[in-house]
Amino acid sequence: MIKHHPKFSLLQSFVDGDLPASLAAGIAIHAEMCPLCQQKVTQLTEQVAEASFEESFDAEFIVDDADTKAAELDFDDIIGQITASDDVEPMKAASVERSVSFKGTQYVLPNALRNMSLGKTAQIGKLSRARILLDEGGIHTNLLHIGAGGSIPEHTHKGFELTLLLAGTFADEQGEYVQGDFIMLDKRHQHQPATEQGCLCYTVANDALHFTQGINKLLNPIGSFIY
Amino acid sequence: MQSVHSELPSRQTAATSSSMTNKIDHSQLCQWLKSIAVDRDKQAFTGVFKFFAPKIQRIAQSKLNNEALAAEVLQDTMSNVWRKAHLFDDSKGAATTWVYTIMRNVTFDLLRKMKANKEDNLSDDIWPIAEALNTEDESFTDHIQSRNLLGVIETLPENQQQVVKGFYFMEMSQEQLAVHLNLPLGTIKSRLRLALGKLKLKLGDHHD
Repeated sequence: MIKHHPKFSLLQSFVDGDLPASLAAGIAIHAEMCPLCQQKVTQLTEQVAEASFEESFDAEFIVDDADTKAAELDFDDIIGQITASDDVEPMKAASVERSVSFKGTQYVLPNALRNMSLGKTAQIGKLSRARILLDEGGIHTNLLHIGAGGSIPEHTHKGFELTLLLAGTFADEQGEYVQGDFIMLDKRHQHQPATEQGCLCYTVANDALHFTQGINKLLNPIGSFIY
Repeated sequence: MQSVHSELPSRQTAATSSSMTNKIDHSQLCQWLKSIAVDRDKQAFTGVFKFFAPKIQRIAQSKLNNEALAAEVLQDTMSNVWRKAHLFDDSKGAATTWVYTIMRNVTFDLLRKMKANKEDNLSDDIWPIAEALNTEDESFTDHIQSRNLLGVIETLPENQQQVVKGFYFMEMSQEQLAVHLNLPLGTIKSRLRLALGKLKLKLGDHHD
């Protein structure tokens, strides 16, 4: 059972199209696995759409002040241009699946990720990481694979860190996580995820992890590796 | 395609009607989209355009704060409506939701192009346009549809068959087909038009 969901304000920004691609994809992947959130997204989208195109919205915002008015466009001209084209969008066939391989296991990627470019996979011990190249400045997105019996030493986050479990399970002080769980942590949290069978996560973070315990501080380069 | 899909139970119907107001004439919008899909009806497109365009322009202007970009969002959104009207399915949600999704996706890709300098057009993967598609039902009905359709397509002259099959079943663009078949683009376009005209005649009766 999925227990961890995006909070409502995040769903709202998702529907508005205001999130960076990394987080928007995270919500899309979660919603694909979570009927509850999928339904919320569907309803929110309907409501936002309805509100956006309501006539009353028109009346409120029509003002004569030239500064606040959008550019004057020749609508008939645009209609003419658009309808001059005979092109019709072809029906979509079943989408082609894309998979990645970590330590000999094949994983089918969620639809939201299928056209994103992946960097080379780097490895340290049981951790394998492939960057997802989205070019979002300080926000880094990765596919992170933790091999069976592996763990990430106890750490905190300087910024936020989203971990979305794509396959397998892992556990930390808070309990067990399953496929589809959407875990958003910020710098108040400390955790030490470990996996018995191995797992694949989609992670988005806007700062390096920071290891907190004694000797593990020596591992802080891993923080940069995972981030 | 529409007739089969609309018989499927829709999960959204209840939610849709509860959130609807009387301010938008939803059935008129659906009617127009259907006319665009079936007849490439420019009058109907004008109706849709005049309803949505001022609102899209205003929303895009407030989001992008740039007149030229807002005009681009408007142009792209509405040409998507023109090209994709046949993919709209009123049993899956309101026309406003469909157009909103297209507008939001166009805006997202445009912003990403500006901010990250990436033209990867990820929006349709993140927010698939026909959002509530149930893939199992979908592939099942599509399969039956395709089979019926295939029979009719095979009654076409060989050179038209090639173009129709390439375009609809192999998802090649008209440009790709021109290269592939070593024919001028104009020939591809006219063969496709001829073929679609014939198909419409043959399928028209039970597909309206």
